Amino acid sequence: MATTVMIVDDSLFMRKMLRDLLEKEGYQVVAEASDGVEAVASYQELRPNLTTLDIVMPNKTGIEALQEIIACSPAARVVMCSAVGQESLVAAAAQAGARAFILKPFNPELVVRILKEACEG
Amino acid sequence: MDMSQYRSLFLSEAREYLKTINETVVALEESPDDRAGIDTLFRGAHSLKGMAASMEYGDIVEVAHAMEDLMIRVRDGGLHFEPGVADLLLEGTDLVDLLLGEVEAGLELRSAAGDLPQRLSGYPPAPPGTSGTSGTSGTSSTSGTPGAVTVDTDSRKASGVTSAAVQDQPSAALPSEAERGKDAEGSTVRVKTELLDHLINLTGELITNKHRLLNIGRELGSAPLDEAVTETSKLLRALHDEVMKVRLMPFDAICDRFQRSVRALAKKSGKELRFELEGREIGLDRGILESLIDPLNHMLRNAVDHGMEDSAERLAAEKPAKGEVKLSVARDRDRVLITVSDDGRGMDPKQMVAAAIRKGVITSEEGEQLSPRQALMLSCIPGFSTAKEVTEVSGRGVGMDAVNASIQKLGGSLAIESELGQGTRFTLTLPMNIAIIHTLVVQCGAIKGAVPVTAVLRTVELRREQLSKVGKRQVFYLDDEAVPLLSLNRILRLPLGRFPDGIVPLFVTEAKGRRVGIVVDRLLGQHELFIKPLGRPLAKLKGVAGGAILGDGEVVTLLDVADLL
Repeated sequence: MATTVMIVDDSLFMRKMLRDLLEKEGYQVVAEASDGVEAVASYQELRPNLTTLDIVMPNKTGIEALQEIIACSPAARVVMCSAVGQESLVAAAAQAGARAFILKPFNPELVVRILKEACEG
Repeated sequence: MDMSQYRSLFLSEAREYLKTINETVVALEESPDDRAGIDTLFRGAHSLKGMAASMEYGDIVEVAHAMEDLMIRVRDGGLHFEPGVADLLLEGTDLVDLLLGEVEAGLELRSAAGDLPQRLSGYPPAPPGTSGTSGTSGTSSTSGTPGAVTVDTDSRKASGVTSAAVQDQPSAALPSEAERGKDAEGSTVRVKTELLDHLINLTGELITNKHRLLNIGRELGSAPLDEAVTETSKLLRALHDEVMKVRLMPFDAICDRFQRSVRALAKKSGKELRFELEGREIGLDRGILESLIDPLNHMLRNAVDHGMEDSAERLAAEKPAKGEVKLSVARDRDRVLITVSDDGRGMDPKQMVAAAIRKGVITSEEGEQLSPRQALMLSCIPGFSTAKEVTEVSGRGVGMDAVNASIQKLGGSLAIESELGQGTRFTLTLPMNIAIIHTLVVQCGAIKGAVPVTAVLRTVELRREQLSKVGKRQVFYLDDEAVPLLSLNRILRLPLGRFPDGIVPLFVTEAKGRRVGIVVDRLLGQHELFIKPLGRPLAKLKGVAGGAILGDGEVVTLLDVADLL
């Protein structure tokens, strides 16, 4: 069975790019969310195998969403997406239970590898 | 990875971010401590940067990144959101907008970011005379701010990642057309405007045909046919409503430019004011929306430039120092009301009349007969202006004739209310859509003409003895006012009507701020018409705005009464 993924990013453009990339790799994208509140709600409902979570988002940041998701499901596999220059946030996310990080702009090959590792690990 | 497939998505989303940033900047100027607004600005610039980096548009990345950093300093670094910050951010969105335009046109990015990133990161600028920090002050001034990274190092880093991505995947397999189609957004589809226009056209033709069927049914006296046609009518009405809804766009789509222009004008004229927008969610036909931009801009300019006093004058008049200009949109059944109002000095009807007489636009007798409301409408007469001097931007009244004309062309109307010392309010009443309009159909000689009901104040059937003469003019009395009469037959150079039963049918409309009775041979009643533009050479005819076909196949011309008079 294909690995189910939820993509969380406030930019439609970013979600679309990531979705295309992941679907090509055989993942099944079961949900997209555009802010932290939506992300937490959809996670509870769908329990995807893997979640990619943008950090800078309206309503609830990716870090806050991550904390809530991990609080309910400590085994959740969440990979944070962050842009260059957010090193301090990356550390906070790691502490909150993020499995890995992918950097924007995406390097497709790297993204694929990191996500694969996050699923297996 | 082939990024070209994402270009249009990038463009539309990037423009949305620009719009949000523009609006938020203007809003923050009102309440500079609004954390949510500051956060929104940061996020907007951040997202723009990320998207542009993915598309490898380095110049956009550079500008957006510098904007993001400036906002980080506002958010975390104690930099106040002051006018200088707002100016730079707006300069940034303008530049990015320009760059997006080049991307869209398929050009290499030609407009370089210039020194804007430096000025953004170097804000506040070092006072002149400080040695050696003018050009590259960015590095020094951002250091020590938590979370902030200097532009220079960082953009290098960003572009490094980007180019690595390109090298890693020299010939990444393109997703096939089928794959791309499959994952198109499930709930929405993008549709070309042409297709929408075509749908409207077809719906309009169907409505015309429905009237034909109704006529045939009446002749045949067939109950089952009548029933079927009635049912078809209902379905057509539903179809029409839905198709029209698709063409509706929220007023919001054109709002940000108004915020920008009001802000710029206030700044230029040194006036303090608050700009309020209301009803941005109200939908209007996209065609109407586009045609509204210029008239609204003009009215707002008038409001800021002439309507609004400066602070000293306001305080002397015991008004708050800060003026208020408001643009509001509201639905009123199948019409949309748009008002531009200010709490400025107001317009003086007496001055308007005096100026009009002085300019020979009206005679002094005519002037005496004008009500204050009518006097204000004098501003819509071509070439009329009460501005003592025409300023750089606009003269009050100058251009109001053009505004009025474009509103009428849309099948709408304009009204002006003003209270001296209290302010002025312009109200535009517009149909929600253009192609299918409600008209009054009239007969003149052998010709049938249609007038938009929005241009008709009322219809009257006079007995001959109700006509009287003032000077050489035929008039009749309506609410104690002498309303001059004109014959539409005469205007159209048709034989004059004879009115054998002694009844003179007419409709009352407004021209040059005055009510006028237009006499016709017969009033044929209200009709819903699907208006089509006339081709050449008919389109050049004065006073003719379009054509339509009645249910019996007869052609009706849509008359532009204001133009005819």
